Amino acid sequence: MGNRVAVIGVGQTQHAAVRGDVSLPGLIREAVYRALDDAQMTMADIDAIVIGKAPDFFEGIMMPEGYLAEALGAVGKPFFRVHTAGSVGGSTAIVAASHIEAGVAERVLTIGWEMQSCSEAMWALSFPIPFQQQLVAGAGGYFAPFIREYIRRSNAPDDIGVLVALKDRLNALKNPYAHLHEPDITYDSVKESFMLWEPIRYSETCPSSDGAIAMVLGSESVAEATAAATGVRPAWVHGMSMRSEPSMASGRDQVSPQAGKDCAADVFAQAGVTDPRAEIDVVEMYVPFSWYEPMWLENLGFAAEGEGWKMTEQGATQLDGDLPVNCSGGVLSTNPIGASGMLRFGEAAMQVRGQCGDHQIDGVRRALGHAYGGAAQYYAMWVVGADKP
Amino acid sequence: MGEPSGPGDGLLSAPLVIEYPFNRTTGPVIGAFLTGLRDGIVTGITGEDGRIICPPVEYDPTSGAPLTTMVPVGSEGEIVSWSWVGAVRDGQILDHPHALALVRLDGADTAMLHVVDAPSADAVRTGARVRIRWAEERSGSITDIAAFELIGADA
Repeated sequence: MGNRVAVIGVGQTQHAAVRGDVSLPGLIREAVYRALDDAQMTMADIDAIVIGKAPDFFEGIMMPEGYLAEALGAVGKPFFRVHTAGSVGGSTAIVAASHIEAGVAERVLTIGWEMQSCSEAMWALSFPIPFQQQLVAGAGGYFAPFIREYIRRSNAPDDIGVLVALKDRLNALKNPYAHLHEPDITYDSVKESFMLWEPIRYSETCPSSDGAIAMVLGSESVAEATAAATGVRPAWVHGMSMRSEPSMASGRDQVSPQAGKDCAADVFAQAGVTDPRAEIDVVEMYVPFSWYEPMWLENLGFAAEGEGWKMTEQGATQLDGDLPVNCSGGVLSTNPIGASGMLRFGEAAMQVRGQCGDHQIDGVRRALGHAYGGAAQYYAMWVVGADKP
Repeated sequence: MGEPSGPGDGLLSAPLVIEYPFNRTTGPVIGAFLTGLRDGIVTGITGEDGRIICPPVEYDPTSGAPLTTMVPVGSEGEIVSWSWVGAVRDGQILDHPHALALVRLDGADTAMLHVVDAPSADAVRTGARVRIRWAEERSGSITDIAAFELIGADA
């Protein structure tokens, strides 16, 4: 690790299926203002900006960072775009933090966004490439066979996904920014919802959202000065890591990819975490389809192989469990794709900073933010904590 | 090294056609500008340095500060720079030769790119005075300005 880095401001938009009240730059600015306000800063205080989103095809604007530069106050400042598919929000935060680690900036603004109402992202991923099987399946259709394989290997009861979806959607009711607020949701309503990509039901699937999140990251001296001024503790970065692997590598295990295991091992080693379940207080995990909660619990090392679903079934991942997962409602309740990873990173930081309101877990000292993308081939994770590392 | 093989050598090729619709939301500033066009009024916005930017932008192009003070500008202005379209192709705005020009409307400090319906390239010059020719049916689009026409001594 280089210089110390901390999260000193977080802001997110009101997420919705269609944010017709704002332009694309206006949507992003909503998150940026809130993050700057949280840090008691203005755009003039920012040294550099690092922005991420999923493929340009989702909005149909080639290299939108150029189009956004003026609106984001980036004129005359270093301005850098990151792109790692669905994990991009996490990767973007890591690239932003590395500016401070490296000592080239003191205050970095980082942004993740997507305006999915500009198109239909699910089908944008499925265009007919010549000489390849045309699946027209979207992301859920791609992942469904690997979920089915997880169920076969682990002998999990077939309603674990229902439990995850119900938990995350109920958590979202405590998060005013979440896209989906479904007060009438029940176990039965999830289970009876339309089977979209067997074994994934409609209510076990992430929505398509417009939204953005921004964070202000600060160096050690900036973080201490900001904390003194705002009275909110910084969320110190204890470790951060990215890994990737080819989508079609021979011998690849798509149920528990090696890149995810390696990324988790690296981030926990950096943070000095040897027993993740005991030492991590809360997790914001990228779960776009319900079954990925138990799958990632195992991939990340919170549970032994084949045991992750038991944590879900026993309620360990609920708000009152010993390892609350996705207190915000997670990707299952809010999915502006390019923002989703940074929402995980930002919500982890908010838990450490005590900013989560009704979905705050008491006494969070260390939190994990996790993101994955592509064909479960890109990973980004960070551990943030209340104590200076 | 030989030349790369192509389809003519018996290798397979296939088209990849992507047709895909996108939507846009305008937001409060561009939305107001377009609504104004529908009503036959062109608006600009006051930048932080006091310049009137037209067409308007939501955020100051230098500082990024949000801009909110919209002001009407004139329906006449002058050509800042131009290019002559002598050979007209399908799909272009006018079906006869015309100029593409940067036009700065009276009261604005910046120019917009649009079409000038002029009889010949000889009639067009930087500094020439022009006036908006409104479309007969307007819907809230930049094409509500059908074209600019030369006026006064330039006509």
